[in-house]
Amino acid sequence: MRIILLSVLCCVGITIHAQDTVKVASNLTPDQQAELDYNNGLTALHKNECATAVDLFTKAITAKPTFDKALSNRAIAYTHLKKHTEAVTDINQAIKLNSQNPETYFNKGLIYFDMSLKDSANVALDNCLKLNPGHAEASYYKGLLLYETKEFDKAIEFYTKAITSNPNYTYAYNDRASAKRAKQDYPGAITDYEKALTIDNSLVFIHNNLGSAYRLNKNYDKAVNAYSKALQANPAYLIALINRGSANFENNNLKAAQADFEEVLKKQPNNSSAYNNLASIAIKNKEYTKGKNMATKAIEHDAKNGPAYYNRGIAKQMLREEEGCCADWKKALELGVESAKSFINASCID
Amino acid sequence: MKKIYLLAFCSFAFTLFSQTVEFEKDNFPSKKEELKIARKQLDVGINFYSQAREEFNDFKKQFISTTKHLPISHHDYRGSGITNFRNALAPLNTANNFNPNNARLNYMLGMVWFITEPSNPLTLKHFEQAYALDKKVESDICYWLAWTYQFNVRWDEAIAKYNEYLVFLNLKAKNNATEIEDVNKKINECQNGKLFSANPERVFVDNLGSAINTPYPEYGAAITADEETIMFTARRDNTMGGKKDEGDNKYFEDVYISTKLNGKWQPSKPLSKNVNTESHDAVAGLSLDGSKLFIYRDLTKDGGDLYETTLFGTDWEPPIHLNKNINTKYHENTASLSYDGRQLYFVTNKDAGIGEGDIYVCELDAKGEWGPAKNIGADINTKYGEDGVYVHPDGKTMYFSSKGHNSMGGYDIFKSELNNGKWGKPVNLGYPINGPDDDVFFVVAGSGSRGYFASAKQGGFGDQDLYRITFLGPEKQPLLNTQDQLLAMVANPVSNLKTENVVEVKVAKLTILKGVVTDAKTTKPLEASIDLIDNDKNIILATFKSNSSTGKYLVTLPSGKNYGIAVKRDGYLFHSENFNLPDNADFQEFNKDVALKKIEIGSTIVLRNIFFDFDKATIRPESANELERLIKLLNDNPTLKIELGSHTDSKGSDDYNLKLSDNRSKSVVDYLIAKGINAGRLVAKGYGETKPIDTNDTDDGRQNNRRTEFKILEK
Repeated sequence: MRIILLSVLCCVGITIHAQDTVKVASNLTPDQQAELDYNNGLTALHKNECATAVDLFTKAITAKPTFDKALSNRAIAYTHLKKHTEAVTDINQAIKLNSQNPETYFNKGLIYFDMSLKDSANVALDNCLKLNPGHAEASYYKGLLLYETKEFDKAIEFYTKAITSNPNYTYAYNDRASAKRAKQDYPGAITDYEKALTIDNSLVFIHNNLGSAYRLNKNYDKAVNAYSKALQANPAYLIALINRGSANFENNNLKAAQADFEEVLKKQPNNSSAYNNLASIAIKNKEYTKGKNMATKAIEHDAKNGPAYYNRGIAKQMLREEEGCCADWKKALELGVESAKSFINASCID
Repeated sequence: MKKIYLLAFCSFAFTLFSQTVEFEKDNFPSKKEELKIARKQLDVGINFYSQAREEFNDFKKQFISTTKHLPISHHDYRGSGITNFRNALAPLNTANNFNPNNARLNYMLGMVWFITEPSNPLTLKHFEQAYALDKKVESDICYWLAWTYQFNVRWDEAIAKYNEYLVFLNLKAKNNATEIEDVNKKINECQNGKLFSANPERVFVDNLGSAINTPYPEYGAAITADEETIMFTARRDNTMGGKKDEGDNKYFEDVYISTKLNGKWQPSKPLSKNVNTESHDAVAGLSLDGSKLFIYRDLTKDGGDLYETTLFGTDWEPPIHLNKNINTKYHENTASLSYDGRQLYFVTNKDAGIGEGDIYVCELDAKGEWGPAKNIGADINTKYGEDGVYVHPDGKTMYFSSKGHNSMGGYDIFKSELNNGKWGKPVNLGYPINGPDDDVFFVVAGSGSRGYFASAKQGGFGDQDLYRITFLGPEKQPLLNTQDQLLAMVANPVSNLKTENVVEVKVAKLTILKGVVTDAKTTKPLEASIDLIDNDKNIILATFKSNSSTGKYLVTLPSGKNYGIAVKRDGYLFHSENFNLPDNADFQEFNKDVALKKIEIGSTIVLRNIFFDFDKATIRPESANELERLIKLLNDNPTLKIELGSHTDSKGSDDYNLKLSDNRSKSVVDYLIAKGINAGRLVAKGYGETKPIDTNDTDDGRQNNRRTEFKILEK
């Protein structure tokens, strides 16, 4: 989850925008100097220069100890620097100074989010929403928390609130689509991903997600098309190439699937997924020795690739390597591939 | 009849418009001497053939008058003229070597091969040649050619030829009603075959190897539920008495056994002369624990009967002829015991059945005798005949062979499931388990994922061999790696799995409990009786015995019951186990060695089948059987003084657990007093959580810790 906050800070600007800049007069009083330092601190934070931001916010706070916004944003800078104790101290002090600022609660929510203290994050976000029910980002993060606990219906509710507050909230559309996908509402997911792309067509991962929603809905041509758009936007986005190959595989276009997976390997020779998917093709073609070898390569490049163990188990079973196949399925199950269980029950009873 | 054939042959010689080449001088101007020899051989062959055909036709008439239909399987013809057919082969072959283009001769050779070895490629070769040379060589050429195509899994060609024959039969439909019905059935069989072979079952078929198979016929496999022992019928040169059956010139059948060691079959051995006689002794069935063997013998002239023999120590006792409820003046063969040993399924062709061989079932009566046999009904038994019944250890599945239902030809193996006491619609096990030939005697391991059968397929050790079939279930779909960034805030990709239609391979829902019963002190194997109790109904389902020589036992427990197991032997404390198996409990094997303790001061046993209401000291009704056993022990040993100790797991406070266990032990003591046991012989003691025998960190461990024990204080 730390990665999430990182992306908030570095890439998005939503959070920082919430604690906006203050106007500064030309003849500087101590308060004005504090505000200038504060603004510069925000600029540094935007540039991901967090240590500088901390210094500037500290200056502002020293000049104006009641400067709650400076404390709040220093807390964010500290969080980015993984100084969580300092961050929590600052954010609590900011709230003490001004308990009616929803943005401070929102920042507190983000800090706890980064600390993986989800219950505390939840309380902070609730406090933010009490003060400002239309706080789009707080609703979005509530959705995110609920998504992670697999409470998809409630997550959809909060993403919808975020969208109501901010109809151009691309990420909220994307995440609501993902929640719908988790509920196997693929048409609903497709609608939301498409809406997200009408707002911002440049987001490669949303093209990819749209492709996957189409793939899961068995609209393979549209899936391939969406993945291809992701690849047009960013040819190095190998995820879309892997997924396009998978859509081709599921559409029984094994030749095209093979070309996609081989293309991945040209660009990234140690890509475990591509090897595993080539193993899948070989197994589908009843080329079990090749399937076994490809799955082995997938495992060599990623020892935690559960599907690769699963597939190698299938290949070994057909090659009459009974003991090996059971060992592989057991490993696959250990790595979370639940569907290996029925095979183990049926074939590994000795 | 012989004359007719000779006449037919002669008149045929003058047919002008056929491509057939007759045995005439004009056709072989430069081979007069060879022709002479060939004709001589032809005459000899025809002589044998005509006699064979006469016997064959008589048999067919007799068969129709008995069954009201034509033979369904080629084996139905077996024995009808077979000696003469065999005798005809060599001279006809000699003639055919000289002149391979005679339609009638090819037809005769086709018939000889069909009757003796229909799957031999020469059968098809001769019939095809006969038909190619003259489509009207015999009125029934299309029929035999069609059946041979069917045998060769050439379904469309078979259907075409059957249809061609139907046209001929329909010319005199009234007179040919039986034949028309037969051909229509065979067309249906081919259509079934087309359907099944287009969607073959995924299986591995493995020859059981040289420890089991030889160049001689091996068939009729029976296995224990755990697949550790196999018994089968073989016709080897080491048969008891070393004689051959004149009927088919093969050695008399004997029963053989092999056991597994480190997963490998050990060389098979014939059973002793207690079981194997100088006549036919064939495996008819085996109890799931391998302690009771049913054999088929035809010592009398009433068509063969079923016998039962029991393993005592290391040898089998002399077989006992099963009672008149089972054996009749007709033919009884395969037998299969239900998992609890209370029902015996068997096959007989006695009168008043539905077909020429029906499956019946007998129940064990109160005296331990087999009661009246009951036909299991027309949902399973057809007019065409059933054979090879096998009731699976799960108690809910029956395998059997039938020439009816949607067979592909001859006997096919079917499966039926018991629902609400009624056997469901039979399901054909499909191709290649079944084929156009007879498929009989199929047994399935306790796990349900493997079966054993006999086949004369090519690549074996010779004649029929035993094979193991492993069911693979539907094709397993590989798993792809896909990746998505589902949450916009997540910079790194979230891996997820895309499962393509997860394939469930169906396995049997049962538990196999096996192990060795020993004396706790001496560790010597013990023969003990093992009661299998339905705790919910408080009834003893069955009683088994551990082997007197090895102490081994095996009990199969179909899922869906709360079982109590009580291992008993005079002079010893009983040992109890509890297996509460929900309906959906998967196949599992438990090894549980039981060390029985002698009745001595200080000996303790855990009473696994005493149950209390949750958090209360009220004894649940399903404890009755265990308590009755305890009462019997106390009555049988009137000087015993015992302590009833109750234990809890560590959930709850110490005080609470101590009080609960105290109350529970008093409940048991009160129960025993109420049943007439002197209070002075009983001490109640609650230990709470103070004496765990397992961890309290897991459900299983806690369950083990919650227990009632008794300890002998005085003897």
